[in-house]
Amino acid sequence: MVSFIVRRIVILVPMAFTISALIFFASRLSPIDPINAMIPPDMASDSLNLAQLREELGLNDHIILQYFTWLKNIATGDFGYSLQSGQKISEILALRMPATLELVLSALILSTILALTLGLFAGAKKGGIADRLSRVLGVVGIAIPDFFIGLALLNVFAYRVSWLPSGNRVAPGQVTFWDRFPNYILPVATLTIAMLAVLIRYTRNSVLDTLNRDFVKTARSKGVPEWRVLYSHVFRNSLGPVMVLLAFRLPLLVGGSILVETVFQWPGIGTTIIAAVTASDYPVIMVVSMLIAMVILFASFLVDIVKSILDPRVRLGGGN
Amino acid sequence: MQKKKQDRQSTAKIFIRNLLHNPSAAIGLTIISIMILCAVFAVQISGVEPEYIDPINGRLGPSLDHLMGTDQLGRDMLSRVLSGGRQSIYVGVIASFLANLIGTVLGATAGYLGGKIDAVVMRVSELVMTFPQLILVLIFVSLLGQGINNVIIVFALTGWMTTFRLVRGEFFSLREEAFVEADRAFGFSKPRIIFRHILPNTMSPIVVAFTINIAIFIIAEAGLSFLGLGVPVTTPTWGNLLTAAQNPVVVDEYWWLWVFPAMSIAIFVLGVNFVGDGLRDVLDPRHKSLITKNKWKTMLVGRLGRKK
Repeated sequence: MVSFIVRRIVILVPMAFTISALIFFASRLSPIDPINAMIPPDMASDSLNLAQLREELGLNDHIILQYFTWLKNIATGDFGYSLQSGQKISEILALRMPATLELVLSALILSTILALTLGLFAGAKKGGIADRLSRVLGVVGIAIPDFFIGLALLNVFAYRVSWLPSGNRVAPGQVTFWDRFPNYILPVATLTIAMLAVLIRYTRNSVLDTLNRDFVKTARSKGVPEWRVLYSHVFRNSLGPVMVLLAFRLPLLVGGSILVETVFQWPGIGTTIIAAVTASDYPVIMVVSMLIAMVILFASFLVDIVKSILDPRVRLGGGN
Repeated sequence: MQKKKQDRQSTAKIFIRNLLHNPSAAIGLTIISIMILCAVFAVQISGVEPEYIDPINGRLGPSLDHLMGTDQLGRDMLSRVLSGGRQSIYVGVIASFLANLIGTVLGATAGYLGGKIDAVVMRVSELVMTFPQLILVLIFVSLLGQGINNVIIVFALTGWMTTFRLVRGEFFSLREEAFVEADRAFGFSKPRIIFRHILPNTMSPIVVAFTINIAIFIIAEAGLSFLGLGVPVTTPTWGNLLTAAQNPVVVDEYWWLWVFPAMSIAIFVLGVNFVGDGLRDVLDPRHKSLITKNKWKTMLVGRLGRKK
């Protein structure tokens, strides 16, 4: 097991370097002068200083050297400045990250709980209400773009009946968590429904697969009560594929869901990305891409570990 | 030679017959064909050009004159939604074809040759999966400008990994088969063994991946265009029509401007998924379809029968 983990890490490190190099050199293809990313914009007005600054900041150095400087800065937490607002990128992230975390984390938890319960009931009683509901959700939910769910919820709950606010995380005068709570309902519901469709399909299939396995038959023939068969035999053993899918969704925690955040004007990372992209704010895009890529790498590492725990053949098979 | 041709024809016939008898595939194919026909004959069906401007009749709700209403410039939404399908379906199909082509060629080569080449291609596929898609979109937009072909290129470059993995896996097991052994003994060239002899045996996962990718890309196009990063706004696609819903007033009062394009996407993707499901059913008997045969019968006759 230890050697398997070490092997995965050995692959992970060069991957991380390659991705960072790709992001860095790709951004250098853009026509924008990188000096703007390194100094606050109010200092950039003096053209005499610029030449000197350029030398001091190392922009006349060889590009490979510049790459390593950039990498060192990122690693030490110096993310540079946004071209758009002149703010420090680390400050922007600190401001926006909590909003995305709240939204994605609640949707992840809610959708997992719902999908696992529905999937278990669906598998337990084929043709029952839970089964029909999860089948319809699994088929229709995948076909509907997630922002359409958001728009439909907005139209009904925010405009038609105006029970809930139409967007934004905090309105003036909202101090406590419970003041803000109504703002969360629609975005979280949208993201939950969007995540539910695939997850429920996975859970249901996985539960049905496990139900056909021999150890379930053995347990039943031993006279184990049905609820115990379902809980301690079927449920636990069908968690594997579900865990893998969840691990692949971890990058959403830092990247946010761009579409859902846009529909609800949610001030998270997703809307930050889209604002940066439309304004060609390269420093922000580079840092956020780096962050997301690193979490994706970490998530795929986690997936490998989970898989190897569930199925020892993976780790003995040479790890390709 | 004559005999061989006949055999091939009959397997194709059996395949098509099985497909048409498969309930999911039949429903899916019906939905898709109707929607493609509607897209092709958009102008004839609605009677108006999608770009015909009539400002006096702007923002009318659905009525007999305009079944899906009109937008702020008085353009007929029915005509725009139907013809928007042309671009969206085009993007989905072409991008999925290209992605599958890349995935198949790489998967076949890597899977057959194995060793170092396989390791390299595998690392590349992991890299692409890790590389944020958005920054790729941005690079292409900044280098080539916004355009329908750039969207297709980005989708093809970021969407080939599923096919790649499937094909590679198939090749791993097929290359040990006796007929490949025989090919090698005959001294056939590697490309001939890979593409003429082994590849036809891996068609089923490729076809299934093709349909799944179409669905994914159509939804992705809608998302990118909704954000203003996809196909330029001047061409009506389903995604571009949805950008109207960026405006809260439209979400509130002019629901027909975004509900109809979104429904078109949902119905078309549903159709594609049904076909994919049916294909998997026909090509791989182990797979359980979402709509079983009995279910299909119940849908048609069961309700009536049960009531008496």
